[in-house]
Amino acid sequence: MDKDIIISMQEELARAIKRPAKERRWLMVIDQRKCVGCYACTISCVAENKLPPGVVYRPVLEDEVGTYPRVSRKFLPRPCMQCDRPPCTNVCPVGATEKGAEGVVTIDYKQCIGCRYCVTACPYGARTFDFGEAYTDGTPEGLPAMVGQARAGAMERSASFEYGRSWPRKGDDSPVGNVRKCHFCLHRLAQGMLPACVSTCIGRATYFGDANDAGSTVARLEGSPNATRLKEDLGTEPRVIYLV
Amino acid sequence: MNTKRSVYQLSILLAVLGLVALGVRFATGHRLAAYGSYVVWGLWVAMYLFFAGVAAGSFMVASLDLLFRVDTFKGTGRIALWTAITSLGGGLLSIWVDLGHLGRIWKVFLEPHFGSVMTQMVWGYSIFGVILVTTLYLAIKKPGSPQLRVAMIVGLAVSIFISGAVGALLGVEASRPFWHVGLLPVQFPFFSATSGVAALLVVIGLLGSPDDPRRASQIRVLGIATDVFAGVKLYFLWAFFSQSLYGNVPENVAAVELLLFGTYWWVFWILQILVGTLIPVAVLAMPRAASGKTAGWMGVLVLLGLAVARVNFVLPALAVPELAALTRAFSGPRLQFTYFPSLLEWGVTLGITGFVMLAFLIGKDRLPLRGEEVA
Repeated sequence: MDKDIIISMQEELARAIKRPAKERRWLMVIDQRKCVGCYACTISCVAENKLPPGVVYRPVLEDEVGTYPRVSRKFLPRPCMQCDRPPCTNVCPVGATEKGAEGVVTIDYKQCIGCRYCVTACPYGARTFDFGEAYTDGTPEGLPAMVGQARAGAMERSASFEYGRSWPRKGDDSPVGNVRKCHFCLHRLAQGMLPACVSTCIGRATYFGDANDAGSTVARLEGSPNATRLKEDLGTEPRVIYLV
Repeated sequence: MNTKRSVYQLSILLAVLGLVALGVRFATGHRLAAYGSYVVWGLWVAMYLFFAGVAAGSFMVASLDLLFRVDTFKGTGRIALWTAITSLGGGLLSIWVDLGHLGRIWKVFLEPHFGSVMTQMVWGYSIFGVILVTTLYLAIKKPGSPQLRVAMIVGLAVSIFISGAVGALLGVEASRPFWHVGLLPVQFPFFSATSGVAALLVVIGLLGSPDDPRRASQIRVLGIATDVFAGVKLYFLWAFFSQSLYGNVPENVAAVELLLFGTYWWVFWILQILVGTLIPVAVLAMPRAASGKTAGWMGVLVLLGLAVARVNFVLPALAVPELAALTRAFSGPRLQFTYFPSLLEWGVTLGITGFVMLAFLIGKDRLPLRGEEVA
């Protein structure tokens, strides 16, 4: 029986994180032909990073193509492209967002002033703003036997671990008031775990790894003749590749 | 009814409203604002652009008296500088309340990233603020001095630069084809000059002394200038829209069509073009009709049109999705491509307008700003 691709990528990841960060080139490959539009990646990302309303790192874009009776649906998961030439970093007035050593575009939540200039600069709509809201806002507290707002909201208020730090949601402290975006789950990578969206993809449509490792799955897929990138003409050099 | 007293009353009313709105803003953060993660800038950013434009334009107008010594505008320099100072304060307050972390504004000064046009602009406006205060001080204490002339020359250059920088702030963004046109940084200094002329028209027309022998000629010249600038503005709009539509870049066309024929078409056609441009242009073209307070009210309409124009620059670009299917993906109240300002946003904006008006009136009454009060 063939090994599950997730297990293979886990092993590749274990190899990759032993190398210095500068020598790694994280790459995500999404096979649109395999994506069934289940949104498991979107939801797992929300759960992993405790994303509040208005903040989404990996929506799945749906498109209906063709005319009846030849109609089909296409799904396009859209994480941050982690561009090699990111338009979002240079516009930051305080240098809070930058291209990190591993090629991931990061945000320093304690440095970000929340001006949202970077949001307007991203050509992929990959940055969103944390308004400090909660999904359980306005829900009833409930009877003693029922789960009310306080208990149901505990999950939302619990800390996320983005960028390797603990970020509990307290008042207007960061990450509230900050711009937020996908970071390829850097905190999980540091622990040898694949990004949440990759682990939870039921169609095994998302691949992730170090493209500098010639033996990795993503290195093999990167050169596929059907590989393409979003808005290639802008010259942003995305690190997310789509197989179409 | 006494116009000055009415304006004072309106200013106080708006300022009180503003204090309440600001209190709510500080207590609730951004939760009561209507912008979201896609239309991420709203009324406050647009009003910052507007007030900043009035500030820069008022300085340009002040130079007619204090630098170029145009006889018609003798005695208007200091009041124009004070207009600039109060407007700049309003603009900076408007953009400050828009930040996600108000307390971190110091980082732009102490930990700046100068590669960002926003940093350049913040520093530019801060330097401009210092220049404004300095020039007003010199204009009061040392009128006609070489120091004042130097300050005015430097200030004039800075006012043009920062006006253009506001255009560049939007224009550098290649991801938004609607903004990404070289025309934008060129247009904004003209818009600023128009704002300055209209503001002075309001000041002289509505609040100026009827006994001032120069008032009639000043209003006439400002009226002509307003009409000329309106023509330039309309030409810029034509160039802007026709290039976009002929260019046929889908995102750009969508933004222009949204502006011209979208849900809020009336904001452009009725408020910006009819009320903010055509009516004042027509009235100001008739010298007999456009004397005194009528001219002042036409200045108010021009300023209203300019404020609406700023909104019409900022919002259409953001209301067009970067990827078409984003409109249907993981939507929610903050993940929409539609926007209309919330009650809080209107409250803060009207309040800031009230603060600016009140500060202007108090300064006008308390500071030696009229021509004959030269030290």
